[in-house]
Amino acid sequence: MDLFRVGHDVYGQRVLEGISWNLVPYAVGIAAVVIVAHLIWRLIRGPKKGAQRG
Amino acid sequence: MAEERVERHKGVDRLFHWLTAAAVLTLMTTGLLPALGVWKFDWVVIHWSVGIFLVLLVLFHTIRALFWQKLKCMFAMSPAEITGKKVTKYSVAQKLMHHAMTLMVLAAVITGCLMLMKMDTPLWKRDPYTLSQATWGVIYVIHGAAAVSAITLVFLHVYFAILPEKRMYLRAMIKGWMTREEEREHFGTPQ
Repeated sequence: MDLFRVGHDVYGQRVLEGISWNLVPYAVGIAAVVIVAHLIWRLIRGPKKGAQRG
Repeated sequence: MAEERVERHKGVDRLFHWLTAAAVLTLMTTGLLPALGVWKFDWVVIHWSVGIFLVLLVLFHTIRALFWQKLKCMFAMSPAEITGKKVTKYSVAQKLMHHAMTLMVLAAVITGCLMLMKMDTPLWKRDPYTLSQATWGVIYVIHGAAAVSAITLVFLHVYFAILPEKRMYLRAMIKGWMTREEEREHFGTPQ
C-alpha cells in the first residue's frame, strides 16, 4: 500500500506530490468499523444511565 | 402543558455550525471527487473560493470562542468526566470530535492558504517559487491527509448525530433548544 504519490521533476528527481488517494477506501473502512463496533457495543450495553452534572 | 425548553446553542453558533458543515462538504466534494476520477469538472475556483469562506468562518469561531464563550466548556476534561461520573455541557466524545475536527480543519485551512500562492486570483498573482519543491510536497501531504481524515470524521459525526438517543443534540443544533426532561436525561440530575 502506497502512502504517498511520488512524481518526477524536469531533472528526473523524485518529488513528493501528496498523499496516496488509495487511502480513501481505508478512511471509509475505519469509519465503518467504528460504526459497526459501536452498534454492537450499544446492543450489548443496553440503555445508558445518566451521570452527575458538574 | 407545554414542555419547558432550555437553550443549548445560540442562533449565531448554529449558523456557524451549518455554514461550516456546508463548506467542509463542498470542499470534500470539489477536492476529492475530481482527484479520485469520480466526477471531472472545473473544481479549482469553487474549491479555493469556498476555502477562503471556511477561513473566515474559522476566524469568526476563534474570536467568538476566545471572547464570548467559555473555552473551559470545550477544552477542560476532568478525570470524573473521562470515567463518566460527571457530564458537562459537552460529553467527552463530543469534545474529542470537536478537537479532531479542529485539527483536520486547521491543517486543511493553513496548507490551503499556502497553496493559494500557486494560484492566480482576482486578488493576487501566483508565486510558486517562494517555497521549495520538497516543502510543497509536505504541504500537499498534510492537505491530503486532512481531506482523507475528513471522510472518517464526517461519517462518524453524522452517525452519532442521527442515533435515536442522541437526536436531542441534533435538534438542539437545528432549533437551539432541548427540553428540561432531555437535559435531565443528559446530565443525570434535575437542574
